[in-house]
Amino acid sequence: MASYLPDNEHVLVLENPENHEAERALKDAISQRKMIILVGECRVGYKGRASSELESGERIVILKEDGSVLVHRPRGYEAVNWQPPGCIFYVNVEKRELTVSAMRRKPVESIHVYFDSIYILAIMRLRDHGRFSLHASEEDMQKAILLKPSIIEEGLVPVDFEKKVEPGFVDVYGIDRQNRFVVVEIKRKPAGRTAVLQLSKYVKAVQKTVNRDVRGVLVAPTLAKGAQRMLFTLGLSFKSLDPKKCAQILQKPQTCELTKFFRQDR
Amino acid sequence: MFSVKMTDTKLLKDMFQAIAILVDEATFNVNPENIQLRAMDPSRVAMIDFQWPKTIFDEYQCDQPQKICVNIAELLKLLRRTGRDETVQLTLTPDTPKLQITITGKYTRTFNMPTLEPQEEETPTPKITFKTEAKATTEGLKQAIEDAQLVSDHVRVEADPEKITLQATGDLMGATIELKKGSDALLDLQTQEPSKATFSLSYLAEIIKAASATSEIATLQFANDMPIRIDFHQPKEGKLTFYLAPRIEVE
Repeated sequence: MASYLPDNEHVLVLENPENHEAERALKDAISQRKMIILVGECRVGYKGRASSELESGERIVILKEDGSVLVHRPRGYEAVNWQPPGCIFYVNVEKRELTVSAMRRKPVESIHVYFDSIYILAIMRLRDHGRFSLHASEEDMQKAILLKPSIIEEGLVPVDFEKKVEPGFVDVYGIDRQNRFVVVEIKRKPAGRTAVLQLSKYVKAVQKTVNRDVRGVLVAPTLAKGAQRMLFTLGLSFKSLDPKKCAQILQKPQTCELTKFFRQDR
Repeated sequence: MFSVKMTDTKLLKDMFQAIAILVDEATFNVNPENIQLRAMDPSRVAMIDFQWPKTIFDEYQCDQPQKICVNIAELLKLLRRTGRDETVQLTLTPDTPKLQITITGKYTRTFNMPTLEPQEEETPTPKITFKTEAKATTEGLKQAIEDAQLVSDHVRVEADPEKITLQATGDLMGATIELKKGSDALLDLQTQEPSKATFSLSYLAEIIKAASATSEIATLQFANDMPIRIDFHQPKEGKLTFYLAPRIEVE
């Protein structure tokens, strides 16, 4: 029984399709590289670098247009079986079972999903040109500082990042206006005493190797309680930096879409 | 019925490789006179505009205009099997949705692959008033882009009446590359007004690397913060042009 969703002609949904009907629809969808969602009772077999067998149960199987595949059980966020993009899909009906297979050549791997019954088969072409941005990890904050050191202070010139010193790695290492070395430690959450101590260790380690003044700057959205006094006692300074601002800095030079130039001259 | 035969298989491979840089599923418009493709990459940042007249092929047969869509990477895998002095024939008959690829040389092998649902929507070309036009060797461009890639993932292209400057700024390092008018790399340069625009190096590098296999000389056209148009001159007939959108810095 076929039912077309009226608001979106790109979607075809079959409820409780009979095997041969499902086979036809699936083959068609695979040849057109459409996105497929199957819900039903199935067994799953995997062979490749290892091998696995999943006994019969009710599951969601997703075949994506780039040739990736996911088998989801009703619980948990991770797929129980999956394959990365680039698989070739096959469909086969034998006796009362419909089999969907995903083969990968390098390395040789295959997943076979044997359906006893299919509750829902949905076939669609999805459009998605959106950009994904994860808001500012510590690494993003580091990148933003490297890109625009003036967010820490005017005149700061970064000379290295992830610089190895004895106790660990310095997030950003630079030179300030007065030619002093600057060691920057970045935290994306309110920085506490451990962060202050960490920075202090790095500053001391750098001081041993150079004969110039070395400053330590702790960069975080805010300072946690009690960290401020320790910071001043150890002769370090603090610079407040919002991770969201870093995300904005990183986003700024964006490649715009070509479609913007289709209509008229700006 | 659509059927073409080509003995210059290197050109065929190189051209399809250049198309594959931007496009996964390529919808070709074929008609009795030529074969064309105009498409954007999935992120809609770059565009390819390609055309081959029937005279490029050793044999060309096309009864009526039609669209043929194939997975270009899969087709390339098959075409890469051709050796020197071999001939490729591509055939699509109305009675099967499969494209047949016949490679003839010391022995004959025939592959078939599915055709896909063609993209119906036609891609227009960007409308831009360019202010700078430069003619450069593709080898020179390739080298300059490789230099810039050492320090950054984007490059600012600037033109004044005397030269083109590529300015790359990375996290810690930077590079300035100058191509002087009349040098071996930059054969000609015409600027109506100084122009500069910034582009993604990964796109530029891939486009120039792949397209330079088919072409020795390229014409670049650009203007302030506008897309760049790169026209790769084809030794025989045909056209291979790329557009790449700029990165616009909002301050």
